[in-house]
Amino acid sequence: MIKKRDSWGSRLGIIMAVAGSAIGLGNFLRFPAKAAANGGGAFMIPYFVSFLLLGIPLMWVEWTLGRYGGGYEHGTAPGIFHSLWRKNRFIKYFGVIGIFGPLVIFIYYIYIESWTLAYSFFAISGKYSGFSDLAGMKGFLLGFQGLEKNQYFNGLQTAYLFFLVTFLLNIVVIYYGIKGGIEKLCKFAMPLLFIFALILMFRVFTLGAPDTLKPDWNVLNGFGFLWNADFSALKSAKIWLEAAGQIFFTLSVGIGVILTYASYLSKGDDIVLSGLTAASTNSFAEVILGASIIIPAAFVFFGPVDMQSIANSGIFNLGFVTMPLVLNKLPLSEFMGFCWFFLLFLAGITSSVSLAQPAVAFLEDEFNITRKKAAATFGLIAFFLCQPVIFFLGRGVLNELDFWGGTFFLVVFATIEVILFAWVFGMERAWDEIHKGADMRVPKIYKFIIKYVTPLFLFLILGMWLKQEWLPIILMKEVASADRPFVFGTRLGLLFIFLILAILVKIAWRRRGNLGKGLNGS
Amino acid sequence: MEVSGWFLLVTSWALILGLFLFCLYRIILKKEIK
Repeated sequence: MIKKRDSWGSRLGIIMAVAGSAIGLGNFLRFPAKAAANGGGAFMIPYFVSFLLLGIPLMWVEWTLGRYGGGYEHGTAPGIFHSLWRKNRFIKYFGVIGIFGPLVIFIYYIYIESWTLAYSFFAISGKYSGFSDLAGMKGFLLGFQGLEKNQYFNGLQTAYLFFLVTFLLNIVVIYYGIKGGIEKLCKFAMPLLFIFALILMFRVFTLGAPDTLKPDWNVLNGFGFLWNADFSALKSAKIWLEAAGQIFFTLSVGIGVILTYASYLSKGDDIVLSGLTAASTNSFAEVILGASIIIPAAFVFFGPVDMQSIANSGIFNLGFVTMPLVLNKLPLSEFMGFCWFFLLFLAGITSSVSLAQPAVAFLEDEFNITRKKAAATFGLIAFFLCQPVIFFLGRGVLNELDFWGGTFFLVVFATIEVILFAWVFGMERAWDEIHKGADMRVPKIYKFIIKYVTPLFLFLILGMWLKQEWLPIILMKEVASADRPFVFGTRLGLLFIFLILAILVKIAWRRRGNLGKGLNGS
Repeated sequence: MEVSGWFLLVTSWALILGLFLFCLYRIILKKEIK
């Protein structure tokens, strides 16, 4: 028996869910750090160019492909690509990236998400309230991560407990499905996330210059640190690539998540306005809220000299070392710390459930098993796959997963999508498909942008990567020799996961073929 | 904060808020899907 596919309960539900998927830790940590390190305010010029030429077109492409595939009972890329190009027997295997990518991101993202839940608890219980210097707070983080044994933590037990709680919460949400789980979570979590972000933003705005001996260390100069423009940086290709990369991360395009979410829409549902609303909500959270919290606040307490190294210290240091120290210096520090980490947790969980969804939808749609069984199967496999990230954190496993799952394959997958959409499916048909049920017209210039500019932009990014980085990465030149076996093992593991997924696609299509023959014969 | 900083902050905020409010306005004008 063919079961009925799940569906969204309301337009607000899918907008909140897609925005929730897009708004993640990157909005509050990665964006401000990238902007500060890449020309300050000048970073916004390539950011907006990438938003208009890469982010918005890819977002519309993914929403359209997803809704189109959903009409054929396919919620993931193998089936959607096959629906688009039926004559090509191999195209479904390119779609494997659309399940592989989110699964790989999920297995490390959920562990980082569990840190935010743990730190919310530590904040409200005052566990780190005594720290006033970077070294102490860093030691606390390393102890928690199990990277060193110290007076704060004696091993991984606490981190593992919070990982279990976070993992279970995710599986429960997925278990209850699109309308009953993900939509309900996002309708509750997203407004709460915005409330916490507004509280923190308001607090940063009212910081003034807390140290009367250092009047220059004030909040306006903090904003200046982030926004004052170094226009000479625009001459470097690096800033353009960084901005394009940020747009990929922030809008969740090239992952496969939007395809799956949009597959639960009906043929006549608008995607043009809904997609644009989700994208603009994400940018609001990033450029207005995200950029107004951590960098200006850290500037006020650490000053312009230390800020250079802080901004370049990586997002974990920014989020888990610098920010708690800053909040420790404020009145109501426990509550403010809780606001910060719980905000990150909400941003994290609304993203991680979306990352799990393609694999679950693949099992449901292509193997015709129930959502509950699909969620349980996914839970078991993902739990097993998460373990190396937890136990070999300091060995480069997380970075390796992030590079392949969260960086390289995003660009590859987006390139395949846009070429299939504009060149194989055909721009005229694609244009009609975008506008089915649309509440607004897409500006005509986007016909040209989607067909020529976006693919060229993507080829340029891939080309630059091949020219500058592929050899050192493949040869693990920047990996410590002691860590190389772990990184190599991670690569083998990733290859194994990819092959298993490709075999599952082959089995699913064979079953589908046999089922079709059986039905024809009966 | 320098003039360039103010200019880029105000322009970026205006563009993003403008797009966000435009979308909300258009959505409020339309009915729900279901």
